[in-house]
Amino acid sequence: MVEGIYLYCIVDSNKKISFGNIGLDNNEVYTIPYKDLGAVIHKCSTEPYKSEDKEKVKSWIIAHEKVIENAWERFGTIIPLGFDTIIIGEEEREPEENMQSWLKNDYENLKNKLSKLEGKAEFGIQIFWDIKIISERIIDTDKEIKKLSDEIKTKSKGLAYMYKQKLENILKKEIEKETDRYFKDFYDRVKSCVDEIKVDRTKKEEEKPMLMNLSCLLAKEKSKTLGGELDKIDQMPEFSVRFTGPWPPYSFV
Amino acid sequence: MEPTRNTHATLVDLLDRILDKGLVINADIIISVAGIPLIGVNLRAALAGMETMLKYGVMQAWDEKTRIWEREHRKRQEVSLLNEEEVSLKIYGSYYYSKGIYTAWRSGYFYLTNKRLILWNGDFNEIIFQISLEKIKGLIIRSEKYFIKEDREILYLIGQDDKVERIHTIKTGEFKEKIEQNLKVKGIFLKENYVLPEFEEGPIDFLTEGEKVTHREKKVWYLLPAQGILKETWRPGHLYLTNKRRLCWWNYFERKLVFDLPLDRIIGVTVEMRKTSEFGSNREKVLDIIYQVNSTRRIASFSGKQIDEWVQVLRGIISDQRDEEIETCPQCGKTAPQKELLEKGCSNCGWISPRIKQKTEGRKQRAEKTTA
Repeated sequence: MVEGIYLYCIVDSNKKISFGNIGLDNNEVYTIPYKDLGAVIHKCSTEPYKSEDKEKVKSWIIAHEKVIENAWERFGTIIPLGFDTIIIGEEEREPEENMQSWLKNDYENLKNKLSKLEGKAEFGIQIFWDIKIISERIIDTDKEIKKLSDEIKTKSKGLAYMYKQKLENILKKEIEKETDRYFKDFYDRVKSCVDEIKVDRTKKEEEKPMLMNLSCLLAKEKSKTLGGELDKIDQMPEFSVRFTGPWPPYSFV
Repeated sequence: MEPTRNTHATLVDLLDRILDKGLVINADIIISVAGIPLIGVNLRAALAGMETMLKYGVMQAWDEKTRIWEREHRKRQEVSLLNEEEVSLKIYGSYYYSKGIYTAWRSGYFYLTNKRLILWNGDFNEIIFQISLEKIKGLIIRSEKYFIKEDREILYLIGQDDKVERIHTIKTGEFKEKIEQNLKVKGIFLKENYVLPEFEEGPIDFLTEGEKVTHREKKVWYLLPAQGILKETWRPGHLYLTNKRRLCWWNYFERKLVFDLPLDRIIGVTVEMRKTSEFGSNREKVLDIIYQVNSTRRIASFSGKQIDEWVQVLRGIISDQRDEEIETCPQCGKTAPQKELLEKGCSNCGWISPRIKQKTEGRKQRAEKTTA
């Protein structure tokens, strides 16, 4: 029952090759050429890949990535697709025909994208901040907060509670201001080292709040300059940086 | 710092990329879930260890519903255009809609074409506002208070008959430039520094043709006369004075005009400090307008921040009125301005009004007393 094509990526070459059985569930992965492009695929059923089994899912994702990495190494420039992109056939039309006509229609667009991505890779930058250090510094330096916290000592229990609430609100606002400032600063610094930047949603991980989550597109060899800039940020006591990559350019297609 | 790829944390990073990103084929040829969410949700559920079928099922149903809604919704979202009409800009924005008693900022997408400016509400397939470019006479940007929030930039669009429309978009300045560009293509150049014609915000349906408001205040309290079992009460509203000699008060709550007085009927205007509330002991300046209806005298009371200004304006008008009124001398019948007759007497026969006589006589008597 083979009716679908699982699509990994589009490559900038029409060489017809097989990658061997490295696909999801050890399927054979190979290229289908169209003009000077190629699609890296394996044949599959029309059922999307889904599972409740964590290990299984993990192995699929790693396999998906491996195939893309492999193609990336071989061909240099690729357009990666998201997980589970499966092309299906229609009545009296093979999935392969469907894919060919899609490649035909989107040819210009795909070529443009490929030329934009040539020689470049995606890097992930996540900057975490230490709320404790930042708030301690604000408490030490902010005049209004200092005044309030001095006043608290002289107040009755009930009043002190109200004061504390007020204090916390002010502190929260100041922290927001501070992080906004850092965000802009870091963003500009990263921007100066990369070709393109995408701001992704921040997540909470391991109790550490994330200040910013960026995906950047740049020439692979330029990652050193970027790394140098990130070192400077990482050396600040209140921030830590996670720098990942090079990834295939998932975020810039 | 060298980029890394091999820790647990990078797996999460990778996961985000592979599940949420990558080229998305927007076509019918792929399994419908390729737009990601369904699969993404399923896989994420597995990875995050949220294996409960319940949650899974709920999200799946929700996802499908969202998808169906989105699909149907998308079908009818574009405005229909005329022949050879091309959209050059589409931007989200709003327009101050005021018709009859309904006034509100209504929002949608502005479509700027080579022929028209259209505000289109895709949800209801409705054109909220449109104007052909030829009819635009002026564009002015001003900042204006938006509810209680900060000022925001409003584009005033002056159409034919000096009708003013108020428009807001996120990039008002750019929007104005784009409109001007399109006008230029049509050979239309707007006057710079166009002076914003007088226009009324809110209810002006009570104005007759050619009638214009000459003086206004947004928040004036009016002592609404007792009605049935209702006691007289202070109510907020707008007070207007028009060039057709009307004083009108528009009730904010009922959203209609409840006081409409031709200025000729005003006999006098006084000001007094009075309590305007049963609660508290604050006294406020109250303007009392005494007027005549079918030879009975009535009083209308107003209060507000600019009450002194109103007193001045109204007194000015009333004294003008007196100046202009011509009366005949009761003794010889010579015509003279009423004011002159009343205050100075008749220049022909020497008649003096009894009130003035009394006053001067009183003064004389007092003077005699003091000398005595």
